[in-house]
Amino acid sequence: MLFLIEYDRESGKIVTFRSFDDSEREDAEHSRLEKELELNRRGVEREVVILEAPTEAAVRRTHRRYFESLRELVEAS
Amino acid sequence: MDEVSKSQIDRLGDRLRAGNIDDEDLRLLDRYRLSFSKAYEFVVRKIRDDLRYEPTGRPAKSTTSISEKLRRETIRLTQIQDIAGCRIVTPDMLDQVLVVGELEYQFKGAIIIDRRDTPSHGYRAVHVIVRHSGKLVEIQVRTALQHLWAELSEKLADLIDPAIKYGGGGEKRPDILDKTSEMVAEAENLEWELTQIPKEDRPQTVDSRVEEFKARLFDLLKARIEALTGK
Repeated sequence: MLFLIEYDRESGKIVTFRSFDDSEREDAEHSRLEKELELNRRGVEREVVILEAPTEAAVRRTHRRYFESLRELVEAS
Repeated sequence: MDEVSKSQIDRLGDRLRAGNIDDEDLRLLDRYRLSFSKAYEFVVRKIRDDLRYEPTGRPAKSTTSISEKLRRETIRLTQIQDIAGCRIVTPDMLDQVLVVGELEYQFKGAIIIDRRDTPSHGYRAVHVIVRHSGKLVEIQVRTALQHLWAELSEKLADLIDPAIKYGGGGEKRPDILDKTSEMVAEAENLEWELTQIPKEDRPQTVDSRVEEFKARLFDLLKARIEALTGK
């Protein structure tokens, strides 16, 4: 599966999160570009990234920073 | 991507560094990143199908991360090695060594960057850089402890100052990062040495002492994070 994440570094929180099937790779890539264009036009700085893993749980494990607060990072360990 | 020259991409890098990009720049960057797809898919498929590991892939580095890297380092956009990559997290150093060995075998000629003995601002991991179809793909191999430290470092960089991740941040840099990086290394080196001794020959108390050491490390992290977050 593919996961398109829009993340606000300043607040440390995810703004938008979308998942795509493996067969929807082009849609995911198109959506990433459209999101970056939209943010750039608005002058908003956000991290926009696609991650790929078998499940959402796997992404949450390998890229915890997007999903968890500082405290949660340590407490869940 | 053949129709776009290296110099066009590096000029795009200059504009990213200056923070002055428009729609066309983003479209060009997107095309450049997509030119890594074939290499990325080759590497990830091989890791999944032949090695039976489940990496999390990141087909393209974010624009924000690329811009920051260009500002931080004196490199050109076409020199960035981690435009595409993936990450494998192992339970401990023994598994990390096994995974890196298998990757070296599968991807002949891969470059191994071992940041365990010479950490980069506290960051410890092994990166395996694979070249395929003329493109580089970075495989990050981290143990669970190295991964926790890296996630904390990145989160602190997000919330306090991006420079923290690279040893900067001045007074804002929490001392916890340097201290716990050393503790992670100590715990893992101890654990590694233990794996070299047959289990039947180990004093029974040694394994539990490693676990105690790790527990102390987590307690320290929790206490310092609580202090930082004011809770």
